[in-house]
Amino acid sequence: AAAAGSSWAAVCEKFRTARTLSAVESRKDPETEPYRSKYSARALLQEVKQQLSAAEEGGEARLLAVRRAVLEYELGVNHTDTEELSAGEEHLQRCTQLLEPHRLSPDCVSLYIQAQNNLGILWSERDEIKTAQTYLESAEALYNQYMKEDGNPPLDPSEHFMAEEEKLTDQERSKRFEKAYTHTLYYLAQVYQHLEMIEKAAQYCHTTLKRQLEYCGYYPVEWALNAATLSQYYLSKQCFMEARHCLAAASVIFSQAGQVPSAEDNEAEQDQQYLCQRKAEIARFWIKYCLNLLQSARKLLEDNIGELDPDRQLELKAQRKKEEDEKEEGRKKAVLFGTSDICDSVLAMEEKVSSVYPLDFQEAREIFLVGQNYVQEAKEFFQVDGYVSDHIEIVQDHSALFKVLAFFEEDYERRCKMHKRRIDMLEPIYADLNPQYYLLISRQLQFELANTFYEMMDLKVAIGNRLEELDSHTIKKINSLAQLAIKYYELFLDSLRNPDKVFPEELGEDVLRPAMVAKFHIARLYGKLITSDHKKQLENMQTSLEYYMFLVDYCEKYPYAVRAIETELELSKEMVGLLPARMERLRAKMYPFI
Amino acid sequence: YSFSVEGDAIKVYVRVRPPSEGPALADGDQGLCLSVLSATTIRLHSKPEPKIFTFDYVANMETTQESVFSSVAKNIVESCMNGYNGTIFAYGQTGSGKTFTMMGPSDSDNFTHSLRGVIPRSFEYLFFLIEREKEKAGSGKSFLCKCSFIEIYNEQIFDLLDSASAGLLLREHIKKGVFVDGAVEQVLSSAAEAYQVLTTGWRNRRVASTSMNRESSRSHAVFTITVESMEKNNEVVNIRSSLLNLVDLAGSERQKDTHTEGLRLKEAGNINRSLSCLGLVITALVDVGNGKQRHICYRDSKLTFLLRDSLGGNAKTSIIANVHPGSRCFGETLSTLNFAQRAKLIKNKAVVNEDTQGNVS
Repeated sequence: AAAAGSSWAAVCEKFRTARTLSAVESRKDPETEPYRSKYSARALLQEVKQQLSAAEEGGEARLLAVRRAVLEYELGVNHTDTEELSAGEEHLQRCTQLLEPHRLSPDCVSLYIQAQNNLGILWSERDEIKTAQTYLESAEALYNQYMKEDGNPPLDPSEHFMAEEEKLTDQERSKRFEKAYTHTLYYLAQVYQHLEMIEKAAQYCHTTLKRQLEYCGYYPVEWALNAATLSQYYLSKQCFMEARHCLAAASVIFSQAGQVPSAEDNEAEQDQQYLCQRKAEIARFWIKYCLNLLQSARKLLEDNIGELDPDRQLELKAQRKKEEDEKEEGRKKAVLFGTSDICDSVLAMEEKVSSVYPLDFQEAREIFLVGQNYVQEAKEFFQVDGYVSDHIEIVQDHSALFKVLAFFEEDYERRCKMHKRRIDMLEPIYADLNPQYYLLISRQLQFELANTFYEMMDLKVAIGNRLEELDSHTIKKINSLAQLAIKYYELFLDSLRNPDKVFPEELGEDVLRPAMVAKFHIARLYGKLITSDHKKQLENMQTSLEYYMFLVDYCEKYPYAVRAIETELELSKEMVGLLPARMERLRAKMYPFI
Repeated sequence: YSFSVEGDAIKVYVRVRPPSEGPALADGDQGLCLSVLSATTIRLHSKPEPKIFTFDYVANMETTQESVFSSVAKNIVESCMNGYNGTIFAYGQTGSGKTFTMMGPSDSDNFTHSLRGVIPRSFEYLFFLIEREKEKAGSGKSFLCKCSFIEIYNEQIFDLLDSASAGLLLREHIKKGVFVDGAVEQVLSSAAEAYQVLTTGWRNRRVASTSMNRESSRSHAVFTITVESMEKNNEVVNIRSSLLNLVDLAGSERQKDTHTEGLRLKEAGNINRSLSCLGLVITALVDVGNGKQRHICYRDSKLTFLLRDSLGGNAKTSIIANVHPGSRCFGETLSTLNFAQRAKLIKNKAVVNEDTQGNVS
């Protein structure tokens, strides 16, 4: 027995060496012999396997089978690591066959799950994702069954070749077991993504993140960014409660990353830089959250001309109290991140901003202010000097926040001031921007500036209409806003011209609609210009007609374009029909005797 | 300012190198996996059906260096003189003739070699145009040419003109676009000088590959010439500036581990490492949403960020895909041709933020 004992110790030693070779030494292998250590490990494992067979006659059958399964597993992983997939598959299959009868017992379950994980990876490398899916899903099912029926911390596979006194604590066992299962979920997230089962993939990503927190297997910054990115998925599904939860958790976990004390050496400075950038990124995720929440609320509340519908507002307010509370409670349990102490911080973070649709100006303003704070935070890092496109994107978001807030504002004068704020932030950036390098952004700014002036003009007209008579100040204001809108629409249209200043015969699909909308708006703007000079008025009508004609002619020539601008085209046709008669009447008024 | 939309699509050229000398070619076409059908089409002998690819230009084995230059680079260099940015990419597996096409025969640094490649010819042509322009305009017009040469390896930027530097950062300037902060800029006065700088840098790249265990074929090299012209008309000074980027992409066979891997699952690390590709999966989920109001970080690679203008931006861009015709290279050739096919689809995406709501009122 003593001899057997010492030889068993030697076997264990060999096994341990093989594992060290495979996991540690192999990383130092030269590029010319990338698998040197793996091959040495394989030889050792083969030896161990031989020795086990030799010991067979005395051993207990079950114990022996499990030990052999461990070796088959190690050999399987070794072969797949060294790009010998078929051999790897054989070993892994043999491992699962040996374990099959015992797979629910505490000494086998972890190994069985890990073998299934590896078979999943192996089949994905053969581009057979469906087969990979079956292995991974069966690993998932086994975990659930085991936890339900037994639930005690199971043996780690490495323990089968360990002396009694080295065996792991229950805590360590449980940690390793849970980690193997986390990997199952992580691979499943990838499988579902490849199979385009997006919702399921998201759910598995969420669970993986959740488990990383529970079992402390994460880097705070990386985890925070992943959670924050996931929030953007929920935004696209209009799940604001989940999106907010991800963001709140991201902010809380990120704060764990701590501040690196500012030191002189370059590396610390780079780390600091990295942290600052990531913090600003998380702020940007929050901005999108506020923006989406406000914009979705606007969609719910607007009537057919894009104004706030008071009936709808009352209806939604009544509805909100009833539904939201109960519904959210149930969903909440499913997605909650973190153990109790983290949980409390996350909840505190969540309380700072609502996750239900704002239904009036006051509620909208609160979300707006949160968004605006994050705009300032993001801009601290993404300064225009060095981060031009990021900086501008943030400013554009800021402008969009004002725009949607203006929707909730009932006072037209104040609403106009909000749009003026947008102009004030966008115009100077546009003026500085070099379109040779930032053509796309430049076009976006031209178009947005034009639209904003256009909106302001409409507001001034509406304000003017309430007056008994238009005063000269209002007329001047309306005309100047209209001229500015025209200016920026024309700049946008000019950006489409070729180097010889010729406007393209046929527009690319990506600029078709904006170009048409620009033409249409210019036509309308010329129609809105106020002048007491009949000749000037006639000229404006003529210009307006020409722009309307452009839309009509273009769509006649390229009928496929109709789809992009149906409403605008219809109105243009109408105007092309009406304007000549109006111009005729005006001419008759001007020259009554001709 | 005005810039064109048409013509922004990337032009794609394919060049087939002659097969390596050896006995393999004894019986005619055997051993070749493709044939050039015309100046724009190529047939790949795939099974069961052969596959036909169409490109802007296909150079067969007999095509001369001069004619490759004329069709690929000439017009880009010209538009660079007119204030446009231009980029020429070389792509292909190691051994597909990339270096021969771009630089020329590898054993000579000789700038006057009759087989010199696209890059030295571009230099010659650029300075020829500058001289001509100067003669035409007299003393009213002056030019300033500067160059930089950087290498992107493992998402890190190295300056090939200053081997002591490491880890440079990409930044943006509101007037000048994207630039590498701290990269050495060398003033150029002639084509020969440009070639000199290029070859010195190129050598640094090879040196780096042994001393720091960086493999050259895993890195991208970007040689950039800035052409600045200043014209004085009475009191008005008109300054124009444009970039010419010459890019040697990492060997396409190396892309396998990052791009074309298809369905492979990313393994989790063995050690107590976080599950590192989870972020990629999540990012992919968000992309599906495809709305304008999402934020995704760490998506841009350094190379695409630096060349953002060239890839679907406001620039003239050509890609030369080099392929080896040997049947042993079938897989690589197919993937190179597929890549080139995809590149043709890249074009300026001028997404303009526009509300569909409330436009018509």
